[in-house]
Amino acid sequence: MTVDQVPSVAEKPRPAARPDAASSAGPPRSSMTTRRHRAFYMFTSPWIIGFLLLTVGPMAYALWLSFTTFDGISPNWRYVGLGNYQELLSDSVTWDALGRAGLFAITSVPLSIIAGMGLAVLVNRPLKARGLWRTLLYLPAVVPPVGAGLIFKQLFNRDSGATNGVLNIFGIDAIAWLDDPYARYVILMTVLWAAGNIMIISLAGLQDVPRELHEAARIDGASAWRTFRSITVPLLSPVLLFQAVTGMIASVQTIMPMLLAANSTPAGVTSIPQSNYMYMMHVFAQYFALGRYGYASALLWVLFVLILIATGLIFRFTSGVVFYNVDPEAKK
Amino acid sequence: MRSHAGASLSRRRFLALSAGGVAGTAALSGCALSTAGAAPGGGESITMMVKLDDISPELIQQAQKELGISITVVQDDITRLIAMLTNGKPPDLVRGLGALDAPYFAARGVAEDLDPYFAKSTILKTDDLDPANDVWRFDGTTQGKGPRYGMAKDFSQDAMFWYNTALFDKAGVDYPSETEPITYEEWLENAKRLVQRKNGQTTVYGGSYNGVNLTVLLTNLTAAAGGSLFSGDFTRVDFTTPEARKALTWYVDYAKTKVGPSLIQPNPDTWDGPTYVANRMAMSGSGYWLGGMINEDPKVAKVSRLAPAPVFEGGRRLSSCQAGTGMWMPKKAQNKDAAWRVFEWFFGEGPAKARAEGGWGIPTLKSLRPLMPQKEDYQKRVFKVQEAELEHFSVTPFTPYVKTEAVDALINQILPAAMNGQISVDTLAGRLNSSINEQMKRGKEQVG
Repeated sequence: MTVDQVPSVAEKPRPAARPDAASSAGPPRSSMTTRRHRAFYMFTSPWIIGFLLLTVGPMAYALWLSFTTFDGISPNWRYVGLGNYQELLSDSVTWDALGRAGLFAITSVPLSIIAGMGLAVLVNRPLKARGLWRTLLYLPAVVPPVGAGLIFKQLFNRDSGATNGVLNIFGIDAIAWLDDPYARYVILMTVLWAAGNIMIISLAGLQDVPRELHEAARIDGASAWRTFRSITVPLLSPVLLFQAVTGMIASVQTIMPMLLAANSTPAGVTSIPQSNYMYMMHVFAQYFALGRYGYASALLWVLFVLILIATGLIFRFTSGVVFYNVDPEAKK
Repeated sequence: MRSHAGASLSRRRFLALSAGGVAGTAALSGCALSTAGAAPGGGESITMMVKLDDISPELIQQAQKELGISITVVQDDITRLIAMLTNGKPPDLVRGLGALDAPYFAARGVAEDLDPYFAKSTILKTDDLDPANDVWRFDGTTQGKGPRYGMAKDFSQDAMFWYNTALFDKAGVDYPSETEPITYEEWLENAKRLVQRKNGQTTVYGGSYNGVNLTVLLTNLTAAAGGSLFSGDFTRVDFTTPEARKALTWYVDYAKTKVGPSLIQPNPDTWDGPTYVANRMAMSGSGYWLGGMINEDPKVAKVSRLAPAPVFEGGRRLSSCQAGTGMWMPKKAQNKDAAWRVFEWFFGEGPAKARAEGGWGIPTLKSLRPLMPQKEDYQKRVFKVQEAELEHFSVTPFTPYVKTEAVDALINQILPAAMNGQISVDTLAGRLNSSINEQMKRGKEQVG
């Protein structure tokens, strides 16, 4: 009997309910439903209140701000309707920053997924001290981003960084890593350094792949690569999709490594190398350096809409290739 | 409609309850930002928005003991200040850089005119105030005149520079005079001879000259070249005037030669102090206040000299204060009288005397000047140079229409291309004009 042939819980035949069950065996059905509803709302209300207060509220406020010239202090701010959005369309700095953020997402997300999944495959094998390896590889992911950013800033400093110290041993002159054209690679490295997060999720996915499928493939003479490509990857595809979507959302909003590599004052954020001046840095500068709360809010709303569109497109284009290992009947 | 036992909680009702919860929580969070006037144990209390090292826990206890006023410190943060100003409950005293912040806040009507308070004070007498405090004055158009909106806790003439004689000796460079200013061109030539490099790394900076920030540096360099960066009504900048162009050219040359930290060669220590005292910087364009750090290491202090602010050839000699860090009182402060008593105490009593003795800046009350460090020979020497420089003090007015951070952010974006030789100084000047004037135009509209 295959997995598909096992009757789901939903399909199991139930004994016919006795007519007097409601009166003799516990509270009436409507009361149970009410209690369940109440319990549901009670358990979810902290999150919903937090969501309304900390997400919906600020988003609505930002939407309102995006129609104004508000700068936080000055008395004569005014409504400009869609003026900020119109300005945004013709602002080349904004589009350049968005382009860099998009390029960063296109580069960093696949690389992170490949790195994380590669590590997961490695530590899923029967290794000596496997637990230790898993811990060591995951460790960078638990280092707070601020700490990681500062470490990288020190490591790659031209005059005092360890990286150039090592290069000097081999007679290579110091490189200005934190300046263009190298700065983008340093930021990419900070992202890849924390690939342990993806490794853990991929590892969980790998352990969920039925062992008998691998054994069957091996008996049929499939190579390790073929097994990985035709069995492991398809079964991991929902996990990969999840990582691609969340990775894309996170990477276009990346700000912390760039902020830390820069002089992280409101004005200092614009002094970072141009290749790292991405969308969120631009938003940060508009808010806190230029005091353009209205324009910066419009930038954020545009980003929100673009992320929604990008997420929708990812789901649309992957709908035929993502394999969900669930019983379709269970949905009924 | 009242809910009753056993009734199903509809989605609509749940959302209504949630909205109520949100409103309630919002009200509570509003309370959290409020600035209470009464301390929990009785007495008065105020809120100060400062950097945590501006007022130590010991000083807060001292204030409680001496004034009976409890001080709550809120970390200095412009976004939090804006939030507190917006909800109508700002801190009672706020840290600020008089040279840059005073016109901005005064023009927007959020800063309290402190003239009536000064008029009544027996501790902070106006004839005892050093002229450096004028950076906190603004008459509606020009800085340095009109009502006082704050006071500096100490100050320096930030275009002066410190130099390390040991590094000059090593490079065989003559010491700059301590009485007569050298020119900016000479300063740069010295820096080129003093810089030390190895394997593409800078091991000793020839000199650092970045001002308190780039905006104020370029404003002051232009003034030193005999011009003004701003138009008469402070609504526009012009980097294409001969004086502004001269200032811009000098600074771009400084960055291009890579003799010191700049946007294209950031200092790993982030500021001059640690680098200078580690003997890895031959000259630091910092005023007297850096002496506070230098004096902590007598070995460094003995080889350090303070020199007058350089001049441009044909330019005038001036030596302004680029910061004037101090405090102002928001117009909507809840506890103004208590705040003023703390203000008087902080700027005129125990804390002010302790600061004067520390050497981290020149006291802003003339009567406290004798307290400046003069025990050691090297301290006496520096004191003499500083006393002579005071004759050349002046206020370089700043525009009220933009925050300095805004101009700095725009400069940071445009300047590196010129420093890297990708654009000429003329192109740079044009781009700066267009970008900064657009921001100033918006600021002018906001102020009205």
